[in-house]
Amino acid sequence: MDCELAQQKIALFAYGELPDDQCHLLEGHLATCKRCQEEFSAVQALQQAMALAPTLEPSANLLAQARLRLEEALDTMPRSGWLMRVQQSMFRGVAMLGRAPVAASALLVLGLASGSWAGYQSALRSHRPPAELPAAIAGPGTIANVSSIVREPNTENVEVHFNRLVPETTQGSLDDPQIRELLLVGAQSQVNPGVAQNSVSLLAGECEAGHQCSDGPLRNALLVALRYDKNAGVRLQALKGLKPYVAEDMRVRDGVLEALMNDEDATVRSHAIELLQPVEADSSVQEVLHTVASEDDNPHIRTVSHEILDESPQSQ
Amino acid sequence: MTTDALRFTSHRPMKAGSSAWAPQRTIQSSSGMASEAWGRATETELIREAQKGSRTAFEALVRQYDQPVLRLALRLTGSEQDAQDIHQEAFLKAYRYLANFRFECSFYTWIYRIVTNLCLDHLRRRKSRREEQSVVVDSSGGEMDLLSNISDERAMANPERELERKLLGERIQEALGRLTPRERMVFELKHYQGLRLRTIGEMLNTTEETAKNTLFRATRKLRTNLATLR
Repeated sequence: MDCELAQQKIALFAYGELPDDQCHLLEGHLATCKRCQEEFSAVQALQQAMALAPTLEPSANLLAQARLRLEEALDTMPRSGWLMRVQQSMFRGVAMLGRAPVAASALLVLGLASGSWAGYQSALRSHRPPAELPAAIAGPGTIANVSSIVREPNTENVEVHFNRLVPETTQGSLDDPQIRELLLVGAQSQVNPGVAQNSVSLLAGECEAGHQCSDGPLRNALLVALRYDKNAGVRLQALKGLKPYVAEDMRVRDGVLEALMNDEDATVRSHAIELLQPVEADSSVQEVLHTVASEDDNPHIRTVSHEILDESPQSQ
Repeated sequence: MTTDALRFTSHRPMKAGSSAWAPQRTIQSSSGMASEAWGRATETELIREAQKGSRTAFEALVRQYDQPVLRLALRLTGSEQDAQDIHQEAFLKAYRYLANFRFECSFYTWIYRIVTNLCLDHLRRRKSRREEQSVVVDSSGGEMDLLSNISDERAMANPERELERKLLGERIQEALGRLTPRERMVFELKHYQGLRLRTIGEMLNTTEETAKNTLFRATRKLRTNLATLR
């Protein structure tokens, strides 16, 4: 080990951060090099000097005061149920600024503003990619956009309103309302078709099994997916989930009829017919079956429709 | 789950060549009731409860960490008022962002990341306003006597020695003030809190290597500034 390297390692050694093999090398060097020995003594002296000086400890009073203030601040934050919290997690940046106590948010905004200006300037200067910017601003996620900038007159202070995109994860059972809420949102995901498919199939699975599918939103989500999703596989999943409710729920029945008449995918349409068998006596079902029997492109579907109409006691 | 009554004591083992002054980490609840063993499992439970919205669980977490957070803030800002503000901001942030905590690091690291960022912001703002703080101020803005934590008995026994210490303390504060915010932070966490450089790197969102270099620069600068002290 030479002197230059040794000098760099000495501070680490003094703080117990040098790996054992390097310690050995350094000790060997120190045994013979006076200059480095002096450096080592100097660092030790520094440590001792700092140890001698009185250290600052928060008084019990200060701690108690701080705790009290925090409790008060927490009291003024609105208590949110799981639904609101999920919404908050979607729009956390904006919501945070809106909800925070004025003093804390002003502090935070000014601190973030100066931090973000500094970060932005240094990023510009060193041509670093924008991904560097969030490191200058404390907080999770990435900066999605800046919505407004207001300068305080005659000062260097600016107030920056911005929004964050904060990726989050949660886990739980399919019965968990929070998970369901998220799946409902996921079912409509335009951005990631895989997500939409997964969400719909999970929700459909729940409905098929009869797990708490009596509420509106779940069935709605499946109906929406059935009507609007671009992926036939997703629409098929939605159909399967709606199967148990065709008899009891008119909206579901109408949705399935709509699919039978207008869905572009033959598999979806033939599944729709299957679903309608328990209610084939229904007049609107009969109407649709008549239309489909003559006008559907797919011969198999036309045949099946005919068969159902023939079997039905009310067929003409 | 009981919210009060958490007492946690931890001592860092002395390593060969380490600082002569081993930082003592003792965290006590204000109510001082029977102590409860604080395991990782308990903390994980508390975090999950708090993430689901339990204020009680969150407060239990706060009690576990608020003393070291306040201590760090006080030492770095030198001001009781600023330390309180940072303490409040840090825990409010933790409360708001708790759902983001995915257990990819320890909660300790996570909380420290929040508070170190706030402290760094504070130090940078102060630097940009060119304030040098070589004396420490209390909540009312009056100069704090660094000896106030030492018993009168000791002070009276050797007043000259105590005066020397006070002057030394002021010089050290001044020297620390000359470090960059990051250097000061790394030095504080290493020297006074006894954290490993790897942990410090995690907390400051940087590598262990960078933290090592920063420590090296900090000790160099301090040595230069305090050169006459032996």
